[in-house]
Amino acid sequence: MSSGIPPWRASASTTTTTPVYPNYTTPAYIPVQARRSLTSPASNSTTPVSPQPTTATTDSNSRKPKRVEWPAPVRMYVQRSFAPEHQIPGVSREEMETKLKLVITEAAQSDRLDKIDWEKLPLPQIMVQNDKTRILANSEASTWGTPFPTQTPKHIPAGDEVTKKRKSAEYQTDSNGYPPWRQTNKTNAFEDRITYSPTDKRQRIDFKNSSSKSQANLEMRKKRFEEGRGMYGSSPSSRGASPTPAPTGPVVGRCQDLEKNYFRLTSAPNPDTVRPLPVLMKTLDLLKKKWKKDNNYTYICDQFKSLRQDLTVQHIKNEFTVSVYEIHARIALEKGDLGEYNQCQTQLRALYAQQLGGHPTEFKAYRVLYFIHTRNWTAMNDALADLTPADKQNHAVKHALDVRSALALGNYHRFFQLYLDTPNMGAYLMDMFVDRERLSALAAICKAYKPDVKIRFITEELGFESDEQSARFILDHISEEMLQERDGVVRLLTGGKAAQLFELSKTEAHRVVDIKGQI
Amino acid sequence: MSSILQDFEDGQRHGSGPRLALALTPVDTPQDPDRLKSFYSFSNSAQISASLRYYLCQTCGLKIPKQELNAWIDILSAYWKAVGEILQFNEFPSRASWVRVFDNWKEVANLLIRAYSNSGFENWTIPCLYVVGKYLRIFASKADAETSSQGSVAYLQDDASTDFGKDAKTEEAARVLNRMFTLCLNDRAPIDESRKWGVYYMTNLLFKTYFKINAVGLSKNLLRALSAQSKELPDLEDFPKSHIVTFKYFVGVIYFLDESYSEAEEHLAYAWRFCHKNAMKNKELILTYLVPCHLVTTHTLPSKKLLSHAPRLEALFRSLCDCIRKGDLHGFDAAMTAGEEEFVKRRIYLPLERGRDIALRNLFRKVFIAGGFEEAKDGQPPIRRTRIPVAEFVAALRIGTHADARTRIDIDEVECLLSNLIYKGLMKGYIARERGMIVLSKGGTAFPGTGV
Repeated sequence: MSSGIPPWRASASTTTTTPVYPNYTTPAYIPVQARRSLTSPASNSTTPVSPQPTTATTDSNSRKPKRVEWPAPVRMYVQRSFAPEHQIPGVSREEMETKLKLVITEAAQSDRLDKIDWEKLPLPQIMVQNDKTRILANSEASTWGTPFPTQTPKHIPAGDEVTKKRKSAEYQTDSNGYPPWRQTNKTNAFEDRITYSPTDKRQRIDFKNSSSKSQANLEMRKKRFEEGRGMYGSSPSSRGASPTPAPTGPVVGRCQDLEKNYFRLTSAPNPDTVRPLPVLMKTLDLLKKKWKKDNNYTYICDQFKSLRQDLTVQHIKNEFTVSVYEIHARIALEKGDLGEYNQCQTQLRALYAQQLGGHPTEFKAYRVLYFIHTRNWTAMNDALADLTPADKQNHAVKHALDVRSALALGNYHRFFQLYLDTPNMGAYLMDMFVDRERLSALAAICKAYKPDVKIRFITEELGFESDEQSARFILDHISEEMLQERDGVVRLLTGGKAAQLFELSKTEAHRVVDIKGQI
Repeated sequence: MSSILQDFEDGQRHGSGPRLALALTPVDTPQDPDRLKSFYSFSNSAQISASLRYYLCQTCGLKIPKQELNAWIDILSAYWKAVGEILQFNEFPSRASWVRVFDNWKEVANLLIRAYSNSGFENWTIPCLYVVGKYLRIFASKADAETSSQGSVAYLQDDASTDFGKDAKTEEAARVLNRMFTLCLNDRAPIDESRKWGVYYMTNLLFKTYFKINAVGLSKNLLRALSAQSKELPDLEDFPKSHIVTFKYFVGVIYFLDESYSEAEEHLAYAWRFCHKNAMKNKELILTYLVPCHLVTTHTLPSKKLLSHAPRLEALFRSLCDCIRKGDLHGFDAAMTAGEEEFVKRRIYLPLERGRDIALRNLFRKVFIAGGFEEAKDGQPPIRRTRIPVAEFVAALRIGTHADARTRIDIDEVECLLSNLIYKGLMKGYIARERGMIVLSKGGTAFPGTGV
């Protein structure tokens, strides 16, 4: 126990001779030092940082071995912080204590304990209040209703302990456990984005159910991480707890830079690094130009992700949002980045449902093709259910549906005709599974035709560009002697052996496609 | 005295789980139309637990261990509150709310789960878990329906993914049911006293819930959990048939959705065999999937007799089946289009579509039969003509698809269709492309399983 009793705890017990907070319920934090010590009773570990109603004197601390002597001004400062007359309505005890802890820890770590003029230093509750006011003035949502100043990079003494606890807490969420499909979306994605007015008590109420402060904090973190991943639906409770008007709400960005690297948020978004809509529009133009000029996918993907993130944190959902997702989806398609494409596709599906414009039929067609590729029949069924009769009249959608039906029936002839005549960028998707289907077709052809077929026939039936290309494809899967030249024509000797080999390759190629980020 | 409390007392006295579960069933019965009301008027919210305690200990003189008794009093008090919310629908419909019923009922469920894990409820009481779980699911879907009917546009605009949130209560229910499932599955008591006997009932409830919220994928987690425990579970045959039939049905459908039709058929057939003969609705549900399964795996169609008791299925499948039988491709396509919405909704579109292969086979089989016989050689029985020009199949397809004179039918496509039928084993023979001929196998095996 080298660090000794933290001053906010020590002095707190010195100060109060009267119970000031009779209705105190939730322990504010867990002084971890006590837990590490073998000499102190276990119950200390959970003693809340609260003024004990018992009369305690300063020397009660002397029971603890090897204490750090906190300078008198620090102790006075802490005393003042807890004095009832200095409490500010709207600043909860937890918030105040956290701030206090932070101030003192920082001072102690930077060895400035005796350099700070503790007499003049504002009380922690005042700091908290100032923080809040500043945030509101900036219409910034950076505290997200958490009493912990989350962006502070400073080390909190109990840091490592918190990490440990976090792990165990994650495994024991049994009764409050959430099913996997909601795991990150605990209550309400929207609510995290709200900065409550300083008088709002909701945040504390939220924590009532949590067993400890750190767990509550953990929940907040979970929710914040979820932010970075993009938009999830809010749960209906957002309607119940309708946000207070005026300055609450989404982040409004102030950043004027056109380019920004993607960084997955681990804390509340900072308006200084978020670009507002007009800037984002310019960004999109710039990105389009750059993509045409440099064709640098790594760069462009990164830029688009940050663009999407800025839209998400600012709750911007309009035609521009749709076009951002559409363009990113198309670029991802072109580069065969299916993971990214699928993210865009998922969002687009939801955006189209809100009738925000864009090109719904084009992307509904891609969706069908995508599920053909991933062979996700359950999702395919859903995709079919999504289509309206009007959609089915659309050329691209019709094409995609025909592709699906041709494949379902093994009609490779029709499939490759459709392949050669794919609207929009569907060909990029079809390219992904065309070889797989060529193998299926060859397996059938080898079984059905005897004694041989001309290579020309294969080239034409299976949409190859040239006889050489088809010959090369065939040779990739079977041995050379099954391709023979006779009368100046190259022929594929069909029959048992070739059929068997193609059957093997086909099975291999049809193993379930697993793509990260798939719905 | 309220019949609910009477049921409870009898259940406890005789150790009858079903009787006890009856007490926790939150509905009026035809015999007792004021069942809930008379229970609710038994006490008031301030005194309910005290009244219950007095009634159970003093009036009835039940001897229940203290901890258990306390748990029951908590459960019955929560139940009493939930009943109060349900009664609102009769008393003040404008103030009634399924969401509140659900929330209160969830409390009953949570208390019950806690009682099993902490207060030593014995396994004969497990029907209580069934009935509470069952109504949890029912109330959840009513609550969700209520929420969506009240218009939840406000939050739909808020976040991109509109799908989430509309099943919030059902998802909540799934969570609680999952705990009940684990409660049953992980009971380590000797098998005679184990809650393991309830595991399939809970699984079925969860399946139902997952299907409702379109999270079929989660069902597989349950199957994995079950198969991991399979050694400790009693044989399937020892469980109540009703649990197993439902379970097999769902497992069959899960395989079905994965296009694993032969596994699906196995499970569905089991369900079909053991389904209660008068459970018409369940039989119909099983057939909804078993018929398409059969079409894919064995290429057989349902008989008139099979569907005679299921008019809905008869309407759903009959025209399709007739077209398949006759080899009427045009009719088949029309029937698929006509039924598409319904088929997609029931998730049977994809397998039914494969019926087209059978229709095609039947059409081509007609070509073969119409081709007649080769000239018989010295006294041998006549042999069918087995070398058929592709052109004849093209002509057949023209008729089958009602193609008019100007429609061009692509010979290569017909060859492709033929090669597919051969590949899938529906036809036996080979295509001699150079000569434009199909050579079918002799000896009555050209169209396997059809007699020619």
